[in-house]
Amino acid sequence: MNTGSNMRIGPFEVFYPMGAPAPQLRHNGDHNLPGRLFVVEGIDGSGKSTQLSLLHKWLESKGYGVVFSQWNSSELVKDTTKLGKKKKMLTPATFSLIHATDFADRIERSILPLLKAGAVVLCDRYIYTAFARDVARGMDRRWVRDLYDFAAKPTVAFYFRVPLETAIGRLVTGRDGFKFYEAGLDIGLSDDPTESFRLFQGRIVEEYEKMIPEFGLTVVDATLPVEVQQAQVRQIVKTHLERAKDLRVRP
Amino acid sequence: MRQTYGKLLPGMKLGDLAGKLIVVEGTDGAGRTTQINMLKPWLEELGHAVLDTGMTRSHLAGEGIRRAKEGNNLGRVTQSLFYATDFVDRLENEVIPALRAGFIVLTDRYIYSLIARAIVRGMDPAWIRGIYSAALVPDAVFYLRLDVEQLIPHVIFSRGFDYWESGMDVFPGQDMYENFRSYQAALLAEFDRLSVEFRFETLDASADTKLVFAQLQAKVQRVLEADSRRTYLSRMFEQAPSSATHREERAVTLPRETSTRDHDWAFHPVAANLSPGNGRNMPEHK
Repeated sequence: MNTGSNMRIGPFEVFYPMGAPAPQLRHNGDHNLPGRLFVVEGIDGSGKSTQLSLLHKWLESKGYGVVFSQWNSSELVKDTTKLGKKKKMLTPATFSLIHATDFADRIERSILPLLKAGAVVLCDRYIYTAFARDVARGMDRRWVRDLYDFAAKPTVAFYFRVPLETAIGRLVTGRDGFKFYEAGLDIGLSDDPTESFRLFQGRIVEEYEKMIPEFGLTVVDATLPVEVQQAQVRQIVKTHLERAKDLRVRP
Repeated sequence: MRQTYGKLLPGMKLGDLAGKLIVVEGTDGAGRTTQINMLKPWLEELGHAVLDTGMTRSHLAGEGIRRAKEGNNLGRVTQSLFYATDFVDRLENEVIPALRAGFIVLTDRYIYSLIARAIVRGMDPAWIRGIYSAALVPDAVFYLRLDVEQLIPHVIFSRGFDYWESGMDVFPGQDMYENFRSYQAALLAEFDRLSVEFRFETLDASADTKLVFAQLQAKVQRVLEADSRRTYLSRMFEQAPSSATHREERAVTLPRETSTRDHDWAFHPVAANLSPGNGRNMPEHK
């Protein structure tokens, strides 16, 4: 359907006011918006959130208008997701769809307008998280990719690669127990939460590895010291900001 | 053998869905709910177990959608996906189990309404069809059709203007009447296209309610009789693989909206035993 086409139906002139939802923003195509979109990906315990928060502080200190958006945080949708998780009502399909709904709300009402306004947008997890998790739950690879067709392609998508055992070690010492869905207990890989988590996250890692060439993810060795990783991240981010000095917020 | 529109969800098994899936479609105010409320007791009187379902009735997303619609800040992609979540939750947790138990499932609207609404809101037709590619192909779709001129008094004089039914999120300006007309006309045009593509059985909904009901009864009766004939035949030839003939009968290749997509799976019906690539290696969720 084209934007703004008129057609006659019965006595009425019908106007279709809307074109496809930002068709230039397919995740497999570049967008030409003035903002920059940096996303971090990786399994739980890869240290990606730490890296993103350090990047956030650095960008702010440099005077950029930075906005942070977290996975699964839409005000409109998160109560439904919470309900589904609490009552264990989610199947692989509805798990996938409710997370896509959450993401859509953030894209439509926050991420896209911000990119249009020229902000630097930072996302802790992006569509690749959905691709990895949903496929690990048995959803069709192509179906999930098409589902997220409305996403904007990130300027850079960092993948924090870490051996599974290292990540599990970080998590086991960091908190007690795994949650039902994050351990993949819904798909019955194992009754033991730690074992289920290991198997499920193993599948997720496999999916991430496949996506590195598919989507051109930028790999960061997440076993390196935090400072070294951050220096690499900043170096890469910097090259994408050089031609965007006007993104800086003027006091 | 029951089929989907091209995909299977993890754990989805179609082999033993003995019930009947009957869809009642139509725009706002066409009398769908009234008819279903008459069909259900009639079928129950005949001794059938009936499940009726409809949009936003899922345990998972029904309440969330209602709340999101109160705020009037529900975006069009978000809206389409929220409804998809609601649909799939009911498909997996209500419709399929009921069909497996041999129920007649009467559904007030189906994927066609959801596809039409999304397309009118500017969504890529291939995108929205792809999302619903795991929907079951129903046994019949009865489309209660009203022209826009007929529909206006039906809706507006009975319950007034509704923000979403007037497409206020779609059309610019504050004129609810103008927007209602434009939005409903656009929906109707989309429905008419879908009615050909998906072979709806169209009924003139401007006729007397009792007359429409009588027509529906006759049509539903035919769906049920077709079933008992099949059951009878398959009993007679117990070992004969009935799936081959049924497959032929049902494997209609539906024309698809022209699209820029390169993949071609979206709306070709698929039965469970025909798709080795889907769902087979997947663990069944509980």
